[in-house]
Amino acid sequence: MKFIHIFLIVINILNFNLLKADEIKSENEIAKNLRCLICQGQSVYDSDSEFAISLKLAIKDKIQQGMSEEEIYSFLKMKYGEWILYDPVFNRNTYFLWLLPILIFLAGGAIIIKKFYYKK
Amino acid sequence: MASLIGSYSLSFGLLFSVLIIFFSLRNLKDAEILDKKIITLTFIQFFFVVISFFGLIISFINSDFSNETVFNHSHTTKPLFYKISGAWGNHEGSLLLWLLVLTLFISIFLIKSNQQPKKYRIFTLLFQQIIIVGFFIFLIKTSSPFNYIFPTPNEGLGLNPILQDPALAIHPPILYLGYVGSSIIFSSALAAMVTSYVSKEWAKHIKQWVLASWVFLTLGILLGSIWAYYELGWGGFWFWDPVENVSLMPWFALTTLLHCILVMERKKILTSWAMILSIATFALSMSGTFLVRSGILNSVHTFANDPERGLFILIFLFTLIFLSIFIFIFFHSGKEKIENNFFWLSKETSILINNWFMMYFLSVVLIGTIYPIFLEVITANKISVGPPFYNKLILPFLIPFLIAMAIGPNLNWVKSDFKDKFYMMIFLTISFLLSALIIKQFDINFLINTILVTSAFFLFFSTSREFFVKRFRNLSQNIAHFGFSLLILSILFNNIFSNEVITNLKIGETFTAEKFTINFENIEQEDEKNFKAIIGKFNVQNLDGSSDILNPELRIYNQPNIITSEADIKTNLFTDKFMTMNYVQNQEYFNIRYQVKPFMIWIWISVLLITFGGSLSFFNKRYEI
Repeated sequence: MKFIHIFLIVINILNFNLLKADEIKSENEIAKNLRCLICQGQSVYDSDSEFAISLKLAIKDKIQQGMSEEEIYSFLKMKYGEWILYDPVFNRNTYFLWLLPILIFLAGGAIIIKKFYYKK
Repeated sequence: MASLIGSYSLSFGLLFSVLIIFFSLRNLKDAEILDKKIITLTFIQFFFVVISFFGLIISFINSDFSNETVFNHSHTTKPLFYKISGAWGNHEGSLLLWLLVLTLFISIFLIKSNQQPKKYRIFTLLFQQIIIVGFFIFLIKTSSPFNYIFPTPNEGLGLNPILQDPALAIHPPILYLGYVGSSIIFSSALAAMVTSYVSKEWAKHIKQWVLASWVFLTLGILLGSIWAYYELGWGGFWFWDPVENVSLMPWFALTTLLHCILVMERKKILTSWAMILSIATFALSMSGTFLVRSGILNSVHTFANDPERGLFILIFLFTLIFLSIFIFIFFHSGKEKIENNFFWLSKETSILINNWFMMYFLSVVLIGTIYPIFLEVITANKISVGPPFYNKLILPFLIPFLIAMAIGPNLNWVKSDFKDKFYMMIFLTISFLLSALIIKQFDINFLINTILVTSAFFLFFSTSREFFVKRFRNLSQNIAHFGFSLLILSILFNNIFSNEVITNLKIGETFTAEKFTINFENIEQEDEKNFKAIIGKFNVQNLDGSSDILNPELRIYNQPNIITSEADIKTNLFTDKFMTMNYVQNQEYFNIRYQVKPFMIWIWISVLLITFGGSLSFFNKRYEI
């Protein structure tokens, strides 16, 4: 167990730069999926408002603490409400949001097939 | 004075609606030919709206602050160009512009339709007049651009600086030409149903209007998008913002209608569908106006939140929708002749598939835009629907759509078989290899990206080949489809290859990234007529030794007192280099955002190609779609 630990640390040090780049990447990725609450229709990533800047710092912190993307999202959801997430969660409130377009697509397909079926 | 004239001519214009309706109804009963008087009256009405519109513009030019609209949206130090464009850069003025285009289009319609049956023309005019009267009342009752303030203020409040921009100055007029063009389609579809004129001839006749509206709508959306790209300072061109969506929805409906009409002008099939689409396009344009104007949507565009206005448009919109449903049910006979004969593999089917997917995309955007509003009203839960939602629901469906788009136009009408199987296989293989090779270089999801890029390349190659095979036949359609493949490719590559950095720098500092270093050399101050500019000078050294000088700006406007950040963009054929800077509160640092965005210009070029393709068929019948 100890061996694995050391091994991981060594790998980590070797990959430090890579990890750093990854961190920035996922930081941006997360910030892009968050609404800047005080702005007019901008993401946290795109905004330079104080709210957005402090939130970006918070995200950075959380990543360094080792929180996963999902954990950060749910943390922010707890704190600010679902309004902050640009990617709506799939739950009771959003079944229709996610499924209705798909249902419409299927219905459209059914109508087209029916048009051919009736003819013959 | 100019306001006064404008205000009166608005009332006169409304009076003429009454006259036009009266004479049209009388003309309907007797006489075989259209009464010349009606056309004259329509022109006079248009003339009055023009005067009213000029009245507003002149008030803006003279900075006549006794006019409330001018007071709220203008300022003496504003450059002349923006004084003029300020006339429609606000709620009242933009509605007057709507009205102007409404009356303009019905006048053009009356001249252009002299080959059409009299009854159909008069009914179109009548339905259009219902819309026109609605807008007159809306303007005069709830949002008159000519309200008087006393005592006259010395200075106006100024126009929001982010709206002081050439692209945005012409964006609303162009977009409105598209929106309002759909009103003609709407009125004429209702008229065609009432007079049982839903036929191939009608389709041929209305196709011109569909095309024209479509071209303007596309251009309008493009301009808005270009503006968002360089003015909002985040380097994106589309954010699935509700107001962007609202302009995209009628576009989907109109594009679907355009394809549907192509079938209808050859055979009398899909008539009910075409009617529904004609109604839907206009309803979507109207609800777009409603959603934006009522302030329900949270967005950069909401410059007027007034529940009374929202309520009026809502009632008006529902009246029109009920009217059209009523006419559709009681007047439209959905019976189509036995002509309804086409086979699985035919151009008709491929157009049906186009319609099917378009409707799906439309429903995604529609539901994504209005669902949060309903949810909030019903459950008080606020959710956001943003880019990830649209990406997830639209991107996978884009793949079969693009492939169908590559194959469809090559099929024959009625019955067809796969031609050129050989080329198709070759193109598919090449596209796949090419995409796999490109995507492998990047640390992104391999499978979905490769398939997406493959289908886009496939469409690109197929449409390129058609230029050689078909030459001038269907040139219009071919250019538009080719442009579309280019658009999708540019958007995909733009997404995949983009490289961006956000950092805080002091003057004199250097930031080193993987592929470039940014050196913040100095800042300069400049005084302009209506703002002070702080211009940063940045030297970006690229890996290959080349360097770019970028000068992003901070502008401090005097009226209203707003700080904006102006991006500096270096554009060439392959990449855009995009830089903005911002203050960091109470520090000597500036927040710098630098982005390298490949193929940006190709997004604009490809949309221009699409519209060029569409407009080509106006000029030469041979190129027709």
